[in-house]
Amino acid sequence: MTPQETAELFQSVDPETRLELLLDYADRLPPLDPDYAPLRDAGLNMVHECQSPVFLMAETDAGTLRLHVDVPREAPTARGFTSVLVDLFDGKPVEVLASAPEDLVHELGLTQLLGMQRKRGLAGIYYRVRSALS
Amino acid sequence: MPSPNREAVLVSTQWVAENLHDTDHVRLVESNEDLLLYSTGHIENAVKLDWVNDLQDRVVRDYVDKARFETLCRERGISNDTVVVFYGDKSNWWACYAFWVFKLFGHEHCLIMDGGRQKWVAEGRALTKDVPAYEATSYEAQEQDDAIRVYRDEVLARVNAGRPLVDVRSPQEFKGELSHMPGYPQEGAMRAGHIPGAVNVPWSKAANEDGTFKSEADLRAIYEGEQGLSASDDVVAYCRIGERSSHTWFVLTYLLGFENVKNYDGSWTEWGNLVGVPIEQGA
Repeated sequence: MTPQETAELFQSVDPETRLELLLDYADRLPPLDPDYAPLRDAGLNMVHECQSPVFLMAETDAGTLRLHVDVPREAPTARGFTSVLVDLFDGKPVEVLASAPEDLVHELGLTQLLGMQRKRGLAGIYYRVRSALS
Repeated sequence: MPSPNREAVLVSTQWVAENLHDTDHVRLVESNEDLLLYSTGHIENAVKLDWVNDLQDRVVRDYVDKARFETLCRERGISNDTVVVFYGDKSNWWACYAFWVFKLFGHEHCLIMDGGRQKWVAEGRALTKDVPAYEATSYEAQEQDDAIRVYRDEVLARVNAGRPLVDVRSPQEFKGELSHMPGYPQEGAMRAGHIPGAVNVPWSKAANEDGTFKSEADLRAIYEGEQGLSASDDVVAYCRIGERSSHTWFVLTYLLGFENVKNYDGSWTEWGNLVGVPIEQGA
């Protein structure tokens, strides 16, 4: 799905179902490539804006974006959102990310459900992905 | 010196395991930072309480009012005489936050499960996804108890009078070093630093690795020995939004027997945005 289609899906359902969608995404987050585990274990590339220990590296390879992420199961909200980002952007041309909404968390209809503090945490994760563009 | 009563406010995971079916008298309440964690599995018979969606007003920056607090208790089958046992993620930050709100509205029997969700899971105890339903009650709340809550004007008066403040954030936040990187979201305050005169005791100093609270002797060494606070002082604790400081409020009030501790829930996201108030930076 494109970012726009995913946003439409999230917004088309009631808040309870939207949270269940996010939980489904959390369940589907692929495991971290073992090559990157040492970086994670060394505490590098953690997203400090987020209250949960989110490991995230965004790299580009010949115009393709690669995301290497790990989020503990004890943080299903951050894990679910990160899984949405992987689904949308990993292995895709960087242009997909460049044209995605700047306020993706809001576009997914999560602002009201999360509150400002938690929204900032997820926005921090997304900013980290977008930093691959610069 | 008033004597703290650890047994009166803390229960063990084993106690919870033995009492979780006593739903006529005991209500387990899971309160997490994470919105979805309860849905991935929780202790049998526990209800969910979300600090944003249940405890905070969505328009005014404030807690829910008395009527809405009554509704949330009634919906969860909590009566005025129910023993409410709070537990949650992050070493019980949010459990302490919920505990504090329940005390704000005068609920008498509040307990914390020592070690929180982390300890329960670490011990291999069961979780369920079954959401319990309880018969609605006719809960009646008290008016807010301002003895445990403080607002900005009173904080300013305390600064001028040199009365004790405990900043429970990390040393980096306390010193006013920028903790975010350029291009990253701001931390929600226009200025960095701390309220003048505050001492810095990160909340986590009161917690063990397994999420339990430290012993009374260890806690006394930190707050009384190192920081020179005493049980007769009136103390205000603050952090960014009042959640980590409710953990410290709980420790000082119940585990050390301090008589007069208030939580400044406006905390740094209010103080660091106020025009003209004094701020200090550095250690």
